[in-house]
Amino acid sequence: MNDKWKQAFGEIHAEEALKESTRRFLVQKTGNYRKYHGWGYKRLIPVVASMVILLAGWGGYQIYFKPISVISIDVNPSLELGVNRFDRVVSVRGFNEDGRRLADSVNVKHAEYTDALEQILSSESVRRCLGRDEVVTIDVVGDDERACGRMLSNIKHCTSGHRNTYCGSSNLEDVEAAHELGLSYGKYRAYLELRELDPDVAPEDVQGMTMREIRDLIERLSGNGSEEIPQDNSRGMHGGGHGGNGRGHGGGHHGGNGRW
Amino acid sequence: MHMFCGCRENHAGEEFTMRSEEEVNRAIERHADTIRRLCMIHLKNYADAEDIFQNVFLKYVLSSISFESEEHERAWMIRVTVNACKDLLKSFYRSRTVSLDDLVDWPAEAPADHREVLEAVLSLPQKHRVVVYLHYYEGYTAPEIGRILGKNVNTVYTLLTRSRQMLKKELEGFDDE
Repeated sequence: MNDKWKQAFGEIHAEEALKESTRRFLVQKTGNYRKYHGWGYKRLIPVVASMVILLAGWGGYQIYFKPISVISIDVNPSLELGVNRFDRVVSVRGFNEDGRRLADSVNVKHAEYTDALEQILSSESVRRCLGRDEVVTIDVVGDDERACGRMLSNIKHCTSGHRNTYCGSSNLEDVEAAHELGLSYGKYRAYLELRELDPDVAPEDVQGMTMREIRDLIERLSGNGSEEIPQDNSRGMHGGGHGGNGRGHGGGHHGGNGRW
Repeated sequence: MHMFCGCRENHAGEEFTMRSEEEVNRAIERHADTIRRLCMIHLKNYADAEDIFQNVFLKYVLSSISFESEEHERAWMIRVTVNACKDLLKSFYRSRTVSLDDLVDWPAEAPADHREVLEAVLSLPQKHRVVVYLHYYEGYTAPEIGRILGKNVNTVYTLLTRSRQMLKKELEGFDDE
């Protein structure tokens, strides 16, 4: 039987054409046995280089344009500056109409935050507010405590010449909570303070108010300020459609005229 | 003679070993028939066999293995060929069936009983065929087949036993002695 096997399989031979085509294939594939035309790493260099450039570009973009802290500026214009790790302003966002107008009127993108702040504080609308004895609240918000501390100290230094300017700092979680309510951080902080005194107060109520108005209101509700509501406070709070508009807390517990 | 033609530079400027054309041509003459038979056992057409030939010998050209003997080299060729065939068979579109005549360029005077043997082997399930071929034609023992194919020796014994039973049914007077 073994012989039969041997003979049967022994009759199978590789065809000459098959051997010849293999030889030709090898000569062509190896460049006549000098080089292999496979995917050598040199062919990959341009691909890898492009990928590295793209990744570096993408990474650089991410690093540069990712704000690591936020400076919230609230007078009545409420706006926030996103500041990257290089102390440059990478985003400007207005949180109310005045804030959006102010954001459009200043050119602070890519400027250092101290320069940006100077520019904003010297802008026409802010100067007008400050002329009316308004309050400016500047908050630095970020997760890097040291960086925020440094920024806060720089901001305090650069606002030292301005009256009624209050500075503080917090973390990014708080700013997220503020944004969820459509408020800048400074106003959000004031809103929380106000809500302690008036649980019915809504974020929309403080959106159009100046910081001075909110502060005055806090003072009044906490019993430290004057009970009398100044007439010019109608902007925002009263003028904004809340005065006695049936939101349910107008005529009640604050015992007043208009909204309270 | 040394197994390799020596170091050359590839297009990437990196030194690597490539076997010489003479050495490769000698290997083709030495192993082409074995590879052809393995292709016949596994594959269904000439074009596939051509693919396998080219891939196996290209691997050989580029391989840096230093073979200790011709037997070592033969075992390497068998293993690489069987693996290449299996890979090719995994491609779902390689499922055309052809007759034995299309597989093999038969010598005009091939006796009918030889054809009967080959047809009996080809009627076996895929994994049995190569074991039968290596044992009955190439004369490898079960442990050797196990080493070449990377299979457990007991698996090889089982495959051989089962193949014998099937061949006995197919081939009248089959005797594996």
